[in-house]
Amino acid sequence: MLQYLARRFLSLIFVLFSITFLTFIIGYLAPGDPIQAMMGSRRDPKVYQQLRQQYGLDRPWYEQYLGYVSGVLRGDLGRSYRYAGRPVWDLIRQGLPVSISLGMVALTLSVLVGLPVGVLAAAKANGVFDRASMVVMLTLFAVPTFVTAGILQIVQVILYQNNLPSLPPSGWGQPVNWVLPVVVLATTSVGYLARLTRSTMVDVMRQDYIRTAVAKGVSRGRILTHHALRNGLIPIVTVLGPAVAFVVVGSFVVENVFRVPGVGFLAVQAIGARDYPVIQSITLLLAFVVVVMNLITDLAYMVLDPRIRV
Amino acid sequence: MASLIVLAVIVLAAIFGPLIYPVDPSVQDIDNLRAYPSPGHPLGTDDLGRDTLARLLSGLRVSLSVAILVESFIVIVGAGLGILAGYYGGWIDTVVSRLADMLFAFPGLLLAILISAVFGPSVGAMAGGAGRLLLVSFALALVGWPLMARYARGQTLSLMPRPFIESAQALGADHRHILGRHMLPNLTSLIIVAATLDVVTIIVSEATLGLLGLSAQPPQTSLGKMIVEAFGYITLNWTQVLFPSLVLAVLVLTLSFIGDGLQEAVERR
Repeated sequence: MLQYLARRFLSLIFVLFSITFLTFIIGYLAPGDPIQAMMGSRRDPKVYQQLRQQYGLDRPWYEQYLGYVSGVLRGDLGRSYRYAGRPVWDLIRQGLPVSISLGMVALTLSVLVGLPVGVLAAAKANGVFDRASMVVMLTLFAVPTFVTAGILQIVQVILYQNNLPSLPPSGWGQPVNWVLPVVVLATTSVGYLARLTRSTMVDVMRQDYIRTAVAKGVSRGRILTHHALRNGLIPIVTVLGPAVAFVVVGSFVVENVFRVPGVGFLAVQAIGARDYPVIQSITLLLAFVVVVMNLITDLAYMVLDPRIRV
Repeated sequence: MASLIVLAVIVLAAIFGPLIYPVDPSVQDIDNLRAYPSPGHPLGTDDLGRDTLARLLSGLRVSLSVAILVESFIVIVGAGLGILAGYYGGWIDTVVSRLADMLFAFPGLLLAILISAVFGPSVGAMAGGAGRLLLVSFALALVGWPLMARYARGQTLSLMPRPFIESAQALGADHRHILGRHMLPNLTSLIIVAATLDVVTIIVSEATLGLLGLSAQPPQTSLGKMIVEAFGYITLNWTQVLFPSLVLAVLVLTLSFIGDGLQEAVERR
């Protein structure tokens, strides 16, 4: 177990190094001169040199990388080009609570729907419910978020035009504004979770101890909840990592389609304005979130499944 | 089977569509902005009066060419490196696996978004206007190959202890012979299935990059961009959101169903 933890810790360090290094290199190679961008129309070679020195851009790349990492560790993500000199962290901090709460609600929804559907489908594998629900889940998983968003929006427009009750197509602030973004954000992970739950549960239902339970006359419902689910749920914990990744990437699309003022919205605005430090930092931050989630799920897996500890 | 026919229709439409329906996707019909479907414009027009059917066909070409380009790279480089890593082990394995791990650190599209966003504006004019698409393809291939490499490596490792490989080794067959005659034929079907499912991801990814304004630039278009542009006037004409969404959904679903079916067929063997 200690060995496992040590290995997990080493890989964590490697992953964090990869993330910071790749984002740094991309920023380093980015076309355009950040100092020029910051100075705008003012052209003063002396100030230019001074700023270059101040930001350490005259140093070799490995020193710049170390500077970048130590900045990140201190919470200094650099300064925005677009809002001259404003710390990137300031910008991100505003959108963060919105994105986090939106993501959490969407994840909760996908677990609440995905798990039961997967379990019920596996309860009678190849039955009518299994076949039908798995086609639906595959569709939810495969169809991109913006298509789901588009179709839901169209429905809203048609409802609205016929004077039927409808949800606001975009905006933020009221509870009703949450419905569409949350539903759309949850679709991919619902499909993913349900399909994985089903296949895991089908595997578990084939185990000998389930057959034993059937043989001694335990009811079907009890087998499902008491025997199968306990072991079946363990691998599903690991899925939360990828599910978080879906939500994180999905938020780029969803926040823009529904004009939700979160981090994904900020990122796309930054892309439009070529505000590289902001794009770079958001990538770094989101990758970090997913890394931490993966770590948590791995640890949870270990706690839940004693077999892995040996 | 039905999925295969639908897929064939889509591919044929992308290849021959512009011949049968020779309307320029960038010509503006300013008397017909945001038009509903009509004989003049079978699928209507967008907010600049451009013909939607023509734009869809052009977007589909972009989508499919990127998908084919990227997937070929992923299969050749990703699966190739994976098989070599699994077969030879040692330092090749270490290098390939570490590189893959490094790229895996980024969830999904994030790295591709970052690369396309940072370098996109400066490569736009390169390669006769195809710079953006090449960059997008590069970015998607870069984030896509590790998964294939890991899969191919795993499958190769599982074949290694099989008797037919061991006996070939015992008979003194060289590495090239074992890889080409024994490994590859056994891995081909698995890789085809993985690639079919992978193409779905690439098509969606390209559309997502397009939606963020990072893929094809005018006069070319991307299905994702068409959808997001039409969101702007959805209350005036929702059909313009519907058509590109439908095309993309049908394309993605047929490929998913084909991939799923192939997977079941291979697993049953």
